[in-house]
Amino acid sequence: MLTVFNIQRFSLHDGNGVRTSIFFKGCPLRCLWCNNPESIDPLPSVMFDERLCNRFGECIKAADGRIYEADGALVIDREKIGDPGQLMDVCPSKALRVAGREMSAAEIAAGVEKDLPFYDMSSGGVTLSGGEPFAQGEELGELLLLLRDKRIHVSAETSLHVPWEKVSKYTSLVDMFLADLKHTHPLKFAQYTGGDAGLVLENFRKLDASGSAFVIRVPVVPGFNHSEPEIFSIIDFAAGLEHLSEIHLIPYHSLATEKYHMLGKAYTYKGFADVSKQELVAYADYASQMGITTKILN
Amino acid sequence: MDIPVTGIRTLSPRIKAMRDRLLSSRSTICTERARIYTMAYAEFDSYPVILKRAHALEQTLREMTLFIDEGELIVGNMSSKLRAAPIFPEYVTAWIIDELDEFDKRPGDAFFVTEDQKAELREICGWWKGRTLLERGYSLMSQQIKEIHDAAIIRAEGNLTSGDAHISVNFARILEKGLGGYLAEVAEYRKLLGEVNEQNHGRKDFYDALEIGIRAMESFILRFEKLAAQLAGNENDEQRRSELLTISSNCRNISVNPPQSFYEALQLTWFVQLCLQIESNGHSVSLGRVDQYLCPFYRNDISEGKITREFALELLENTWIRLLSVNKIRSWSHTRFSAGGPLYQNVTIGGQTADGRDAVNQLSYLILESVGMMKLTQPNLTVRFHRNIDPVFLRGCIDVIEKGFGMPAFNNDEIIIPSLISLGVSREDAYNYSAIGCIEVAVPGKWGYRCTGMSFLNFMRVFLAAMNNGLDTMSGKTFCPGTGNFRDFRSFGDMMEAWKHQVKFYAKAAAETDTAVDTALEELVPDILCSAFVDDCIRRGKTIKEGGSVYDFISGLQVGIANLGNSLAAVKKLVFEESRIGREELMYHLGSNFEGIEGEKVRQLLLNYAPKYGNDDDDVDKLLVEAYNCFIDELPKFRTTRAGRGPIGCAYYAGTSSISANVPSGAVVPATPDGRKAFTPVAEGCSPTSGTDILGPTAVFKSVAKLPTGKICGGVLLNQKLSPSTIAGVEQKEKLISIIRAFFETLKGWHVQYNIVSRAILLEAKKHPEEHRDLVVRVAGYSAFFTSLSPDTQDDIIARTEQTL
Repeated sequence: MLTVFNIQRFSLHDGNGVRTSIFFKGCPLRCLWCNNPESIDPLPSVMFDERLCNRFGECIKAADGRIYEADGALVIDREKIGDPGQLMDVCPSKALRVAGREMSAAEIAAGVEKDLPFYDMSSGGVTLSGGEPFAQGEELGELLLLLRDKRIHVSAETSLHVPWEKVSKYTSLVDMFLADLKHTHPLKFAQYTGGDAGLVLENFRKLDASGSAFVIRVPVVPGFNHSEPEIFSIIDFAAGLEHLSEIHLIPYHSLATEKYHMLGKAYTYKGFADVSKQELVAYADYASQMGITTKILN
Repeated sequence: MDIPVTGIRTLSPRIKAMRDRLLSSRSTICTERARIYTMAYAEFDSYPVILKRAHALEQTLREMTLFIDEGELIVGNMSSKLRAAPIFPEYVTAWIIDELDEFDKRPGDAFFVTEDQKAELREICGWWKGRTLLERGYSLMSQQIKEIHDAAIIRAEGNLTSGDAHISVNFARILEKGLGGYLAEVAEYRKLLGEVNEQNHGRKDFYDALEIGIRAMESFILRFEKLAAQLAGNENDEQRRSELLTISSNCRNISVNPPQSFYEALQLTWFVQLCLQIESNGHSVSLGRVDQYLCPFYRNDISEGKITREFALELLENTWIRLLSVNKIRSWSHTRFSAGGPLYQNVTIGGQTADGRDAVNQLSYLILESVGMMKLTQPNLTVRFHRNIDPVFLRGCIDVIEKGFGMPAFNNDEIIIPSLISLGVSREDAYNYSAIGCIEVAVPGKWGYRCTGMSFLNFMRVFLAAMNNGLDTMSGKTFCPGTGNFRDFRSFGDMMEAWKHQVKFYAKAAAETDTAVDTALEELVPDILCSAFVDDCIRRGKTIKEGGSVYDFISGLQVGIANLGNSLAAVKKLVFEESRIGREELMYHLGSNFEGIEGEKVRQLLLNYAPKYGNDDDDVDKLLVEAYNCFIDELPKFRTTRAGRGPIGCAYYAGTSSISANVPSGAVVPATPDGRKAFTPVAEGCSPTSGTDILGPTAVFKSVAKLPTGKICGGVLLNQKLSPSTIAGVEQKEKLISIIRAFFETLKGWHVQYNIVSRAILLEAKKHPEEHRDLVVRVAGYSAFFTSLSPDTQDDIIARTEQTL
């Protein structure tokens, strides 16, 4: 089974045309500024939106003491809950919900096929997103084959922070890779994402060698990589890749704070202002000088 | 090559001044028509009704105040002052008397009236007591129909208080023959009638009335000839004097002859449009395919150097101002069904020619551009989409939509033309359809009144009756004994059966209501000019209502479509499949309007755990289709009052173009199983319930396209509200075009229209109406000035889902 936390139709910003994004759960990285914190844990996560709560108490009844009220606030002991499946449908208001559920490849394919007329008309398709899609199990291949049978264009957003074999077996089934390159310096990469820059850089070289079409996506994050030497270094690396089609610069924003709250987590990457598109123009200019087409996304 | 709509042009000072003048003028009342009609009715009391009305019209056109305002190029006023609404006492007086002191205190659509006018209206209305259309209509209803009507399960008030219309006359033919040509035709057919006898005296009266009416129009136009000449005599400005002289000579020519130029053709078109609305109180008097019938004139003038593109634009813009100068006062209860004072004067452009080629022409571009520049509520602009439509023109449409005033709306040839052909409309006529009023369609100049807009059937009242063994809890009456109480239903099948049983009864009741209304309209307020200009009234010697038109199909409006589907799905899943809510429990909480914490819990379950129409979910969409089809399948049993009297059809189809009726209709419906609270609005048209379409516009398109659209010729109304960012930039616009194409070409959607206004702006406009007087929004099948709407309709518009990226 595959673990999915959202299937979003009418996604307009993740590639060509009208697309449906499939958000998979589970990510090998722990980026401090992560915008999809509900995507990190490979298992379903309990999310609670206080604003919607009508205090019916259904979750307290269902959770066997692991959700309780203290000082007028709802306390959710996520550690002890373990598998939150039992809480899936208990809250009438959906103030408390479980993000992430297991779905078969066929189930997902049936869902994304619904917008086929719109993909056809707009040259759109499906975008695998996450989380890290290539951290999913074998069934991902089944899904990709089903999508190919329907001639649906597939893009995949990936951190490339997975063993190369997890990617290589799908290169013929993915039409476009949208791969993140957050930093080139091993120490900083490790510090801010918990990952290994070497693995990512190596996978980029292999992806390039495989002949696949790919875009490099760079989240520009203040306090992490928002400086000319750091971004230029990424661009310099990119310039050495033969099959790169574009670089996309993605300005940092802190809109996810609320989601952290709902997950009972603290958003620790504080004190940084949102980055404006304007601030990225110099990076885009440099990339152009290096002969790389660059887009600044919203 | 025409320049696509770009918005770089600014309005000329003349047009801008006219626009400002119109927008800053208050709605008032004009008593002239009421006074003249009353005196004429008294004078010609003993005459047949058609002649009585001919004389009343003649006297009005002869005596009413005329004026030509500063800078105007297209002339012809409806009443004694700009934006003054005339009164049509022969239709109804009861509400005028009752509401006279409240006109200026309405929360929306207020009218200002002087004390002198009040006194005069009281006197006039006194004379009409017992003689009005409304009274006749009620007298023709059976006791039960009247009770159903009073209980507000079926409403036909608009039809009885405002007459018919919802029609487009044969403008193409009028421009070809001129008024003189019509008079000649009347004379010819009268001659064919031979000696008057018992059989044909009605037809003779009809021809006499036509002659009086058309001649009255000629004289009316000649009054403008004189007025313009007189003003020219006093005019010092050389340019304006020459303009006035041109107006005068235009009027002289078109009073009898076919127009010789684009300018004359447009002026005559307006005079016809105006006189139809002085004659009848009906609205949705539509202009048909303006780009098609006016383009030959435009092309010719351009090639002969008689006109410039800029001047043609000014003339069009002046005409749109004229359209908006038409004003109408309706009873407060009816006003709530059509909030914002709309006149629904539709202009349709684009589409295909009779041989299936793209019909977009130079004038289509000009009309699109001029409407886009004016950003007014009139005309109601419709673009006929088809798969081969000029892509540059289509992009221009999106540019105008981006301006955020709800226009143009799209109707889809790909489904509408085949549907019309399957009804028995000739291929050539089907390819020539136009939108009428909001979104509904008819063949202009050949179709009778009200291709939609007959009675409103409140589906959710019917649904609740189905749950209550036929009892209508609002009135305490059982109009159709039911199949049992919900608490005793054993399966979902029992629920569906109960619905089917009730809706069949109410479908029949709606048709009976329509018959009473139509009979009253035929007997008391036959139209002369409108009949003259619709084929084949002259040939048959019959008014439209007597069966004069070539085609006659009508439809009522079914209100609460999404609520019906959602209620069925909620009951099926949560009560019968999952037993999450008990039957008794549901009935109890519906009765108490989900009172208390237990009630709210049930409501949240209904809202959050049952599938909702608009999310491309078969579990609800298919139930809705089954339930709606049951109503639609009843329709072939009913015929109109014209059956056997001449027209093709005389039959019903379904319709959902329910204007702003979702607010007042919801206001008489208790809580429903879709989690909707008592007396709040129901969903409008075929759009999903506000806030429940959570998967975006493509899923909405898929749901809507599952409806039996081929059988809903009265209109499958879909409002989509997009945030401005969704169509900012070329790439985003292309994406919007591609989903519209998929909806129309692949899914065979029927109609879509867009509101592109941010929620923030609407909230701001509600708070500070004075600063947003020109903010136009799409209400239903039409646009209205946002600030003229009542607060509850404003809230309803704000609540409609804003689909974002």
